[in-house]
Amino acid sequence: MNARRKSRGGHSGRGSSLFPVSVLLLVLLPLLLMPLAAVFVFALKGGPLAFWDAVRSPEAQFALRFSLLIAFGTTLVNAVLGTFAAYVLAKHRFWGDRALGVVVNLPVAIPTVVVGTSLLLLWGPIGLLGKMLVPLGLQPMFRPLGVLLAHLFVTFPYMLGAVKPVLDELETTYEEAAYTIGASRWTTFRLVLLPALRGGLITGALLTFAHSLGEFGATVMVSGNLRLKTQTAPLYIFAQFEAGDIAHANAIAAVLALLSFTIFFFLFRFASRAERQEAG
Amino acid sequence: MLILRRVVKRRVRAAVFAVAGLLLFAYALWPWTPMARLARPPRTIVFYGFSILGEVINHGVFPAFQKRWADRTGERVEIVSSFSGSGTVTNQIILGVPAHLALLSLELDADKLAQAGVVPARSWRRFPFEGVVNRTPFVILVRPGNPRGIRDFGDLTRPGVRIVHPDPFTSGGANWAIVAEYGAGARSGAADPRRAGHDLLLGVWKNVVAQAASARAARTQFENGFGDALITYEQEALYDRARGKLTADVVYPRSTILSEHTLVRIDRNISRRDADLVDAFAAFLFGDEAQRIFVEYGFRSVKEPFNEANPGFGSIRDPFRIADFGGWERARDEIVEAVWKGQVLAEMKK
Repeated sequence: MNARRKSRGGHSGRGSSLFPVSVLLLVLLPLLLMPLAAVFVFALKGGPLAFWDAVRSPEAQFALRFSLLIAFGTTLVNAVLGTFAAYVLAKHRFWGDRALGVVVNLPVAIPTVVVGTSLLLLWGPIGLLGKMLVPLGLQPMFRPLGVLLAHLFVTFPYMLGAVKPVLDELETTYEEAAYTIGASRWTTFRLVLLPALRGGLITGALLTFAHSLGEFGATVMVSGNLRLKTQTAPLYIFAQFEAGDIAHANAIAAVLALLSFTIFFFLFRFASRAERQEAG
Repeated sequence: MLILRRVVKRRVRAAVFAVAGLLLFAYALWPWTPMARLARPPRTIVFYGFSILGEVINHGVFPAFQKRWADRTGERVEIVSSFSGSGTVTNQIILGVPAHLALLSLELDADKLAQAGVVPARSWRRFPFEGVVNRTPFVILVRPGNPRGIRDFGDLTRPGVRIVHPDPFTSGGANWAIVAEYGAGARSGAADPRRAGHDLLLGVWKNVVAQAASARAARTQFENGFGDALITYEQEALYDRARGKLTADVVYPRSTILSEHTLVRIDRNISRRDADLVDAFAAFLFGDEAQRIFVEYGFRSVKEPFNEANPGFGSIRDPFRIADFGGWERARDEIVEAVWKGQVLAEMKK
């Protein structure tokens, strides 16, 4: 790792890199670093006790747990669905495969508020399918299931994006070898592909989890924003901030930010370790 | 040996990650486990309200009701609530949120629910006081010491005064504020009341620099330092003053409107099993105990004598009600639609 870094920056001396680095830092300071610092400064303004009280309030606790649970659920479902989609798209050539490849990546491009609206217009009580569900007493919107649906939609491409490149590059000879010694498709997947996919799976899962934890635009449309029922942590932060309760809003914002930092810390460590293994 | 140590190290690290992940998962799952569910109360009232009701319902009125209900029946009940702009709440209910009761900022939003077929027309008028739970006049909040010298709505039309106003498309309070501004002009004794109302409304709106989705959100903007003046419910200011958090002066206009807040029961969301509980809470809102709590939190009670209990209520020379303009349907057509949307917004674009 060290050797590589040196060889990359070797031809420019120490003095010449000082200027661009300091410019970059100056730009990043008000753009990224200071706003994040402000959250923590405000969160701890009333002292650690007030912070603790804010985090411990039943609504805040519920919002945090609910967000985490939805994030776990989203990660689990999309790990399976995304890997399956990546497998199909990488290993099979069929009519319309390109188009399907674009479609499954669409959620990155669509504004999340639009996702929320479209879910409401499909599953909501006045929606296309929702209308038929009402007489059955089923109604996914404004329930936890609605939030899960929104998060599955929004985070779908992350798993796919992390797994598919690995599958694309994997040499088919290993698979073919497995087939020739009589392994079934499932056994081959389990014993040959899955171990190779480990890195992609973990990266995809962490990305999905982090995005689900912070999702706002789609959730605000479909959750009904009910305290202690369907209010996720970002919605809680927004509601408290709008109500002028900045202390409560910031405490949870700080917790959420910390969780995301932790996830991204692992993500980067993991990515760099994978890179090292590849290099060595 | 070295390889073995590395393998062990990796195993340990993987185990630590797994345990941390499992702990996080257990923490998240806990409220949904059977153990936690046993401890939770079985019945809930789902209550939607407009923005400024959050504290008084969650910390004042509901706990009092909860106690009364437990004393009478021995049953512990909970409230699930959501508060945002009155128009937002109305649209959410039309889209199907499972609200049992909704306390809306203005009757016009209840009419919208009726038009969408959610509730029978005028069903809320069967409640006491025709469904009006409480009132509060519209006032002007200015920066401490009133540096701009604002004494009345008329002063808001001066050039350079920056006003924070809630958004009439999503906020009930904003609609009240429009009628308050128009009405203050129309009732000023001018020869042509309609003209005077229009002129005042136009003058105020030319100075609006920020709009927020609800009255509460507008106040948050104002508190964060936007603007010289905020037009809002008196209750907002009184509640803050009671907690020593008010960082603004309250200006009582000569003429202003008293907003009236309408309770709506959404029958289609109430199961037969929960009807007694929901109806008991609805009746409780109009009862003496709840009305006293509303006064304590800065709302004016529909029962006049109770209002003497709060010395913070300012006096208004010429208070008026929506009935003075023929009710909300007429006021919407003649003031909000015809004057504000039809004339003022159009003239501002010029």
